[in-house]
Amino acid sequence: MCKYFINRGISGLLFLLWAFPAWAHDPVFSPGPHVLFKDGIEIHVGATRDKRDNATDDEQTLTVKYGLSGDWVIGAEIPYQRVKDDFATQKGVGDMTLSTKYRFWRNDSLGIQETAAVLLKVKLNSSTAQVSTDTTDFLIGLTYGYESLKWYRWASVRYRFNQNQGALSRGNRLFIDAALGYRPEVHDYRAPDTVWLLELNGEFRDRNALSGISINSSGGSRLFVSPGIQWTGRNFSVKAGVQIPLWSNLDAFQPRPDYRASLELEWHL
Amino acid sequence: MMKILQRSGLAAMLILLGTMTALAEPQSYSLKVDGLACPFCAFGIEKQLSKIDGVGDLKTDVKAGVVRLTMKDGSLLDKAEAKQAVDRAGFTLRGIEKVRNAPQQAGESQ
Repeated sequence: MCKYFINRGISGLLFLLWAFPAWAHDPVFSPGPHVLFKDGIEIHVGATRDKRDNATDDEQTLTVKYGLSGDWVIGAEIPYQRVKDDFATQKGVGDMTLSTKYRFWRNDSLGIQETAAVLLKVKLNSSTAQVSTDTTDFLIGLTYGYESLKWYRWASVRYRFNQNQGALSRGNRLFIDAALGYRPEVHDYRAPDTVWLLELNGEFRDRNALSGISINSSGGSRLFVSPGIQWTGRNFSVKAGVQIPLWSNLDAFQPRPDYRASLELEWHL
Repeated sequence: MMKILQRSGLAAMLILLGTMTALAEPQSYSLKVDGLACPFCAFGIEKQLSKIDGVGDLKTDVKAGVVRLTMKDGSLLDKAEAKQAVDRAGFTLRGIEKVRNAPQQAGESQ
């Protein structure tokens, strides 16, 4: 009963937050080196849909971040997930993720900031809902960003270490991303600001294995092209994008990706 | 002789009054900041600079890479504090200039 109310409460909260506008400062589907100012708080609400043949995964997330310094941020994320396929629908509050990002290099000049950061994420085994993987997984990453008044460019590489789930060995994943951003007009910073985005997102998955035997219908590579937009108004941002499959090389019978869509709202306080 | 003394005294009082008025005027500064490239940048830097004691009005010109800052009640800006605030916002302070005619400068639109 308690879990029911918790789930209802969080989904209600997410719905309410969803009703407000919001935004962000890195690409939509990949990380950038953006961090917060010291003692700054970021509230981030996101919704994503991953559609593959008859399967649909929906996720709404609420993330809170805190700036430990001008170069170091920590955060916690809680998702509400709904996983649907031909046979069943599972939903509930998923596992919490803790994250940190440290900007270790910065080169500032007039109207330009070029930076690089390392990031670490830990997905905890915190949920008792069926959407949980019942594992603790780690992700490490390196990201570079060039931000100017007119142009943006980003690149990142991430590696996810997936913990085994009983006899099931879950394949690790490698992500490689590149992104461009273009601001058509530079306004006063209090006026609404628009940046158009275009990303290339590569995903490379190892095969899963059961009791040491490789599972054919797992693993493979996918490449997406992802147009997006970022709209900012002072300390509030809305970001949206669609991942369109460009190429895939998936092993055996796996659902091919149709698309992924994301909408994110972000406030800096 | 009396007239000379009276005129000198009057002139000295006027100079003193002028100096006191100038000191009481809000002091304004122009901070040149490298790395400013977006609205979030401006928000963060204003948030940090506004924590400094005595800081009043703040205006950021992202294109020019300048933050114009006016102090309250004639207080002066501590440059070390300003540098720390810019650093905590995640940017680089290139220089600080004191601005004359403070009220007019501070009122300029960005």
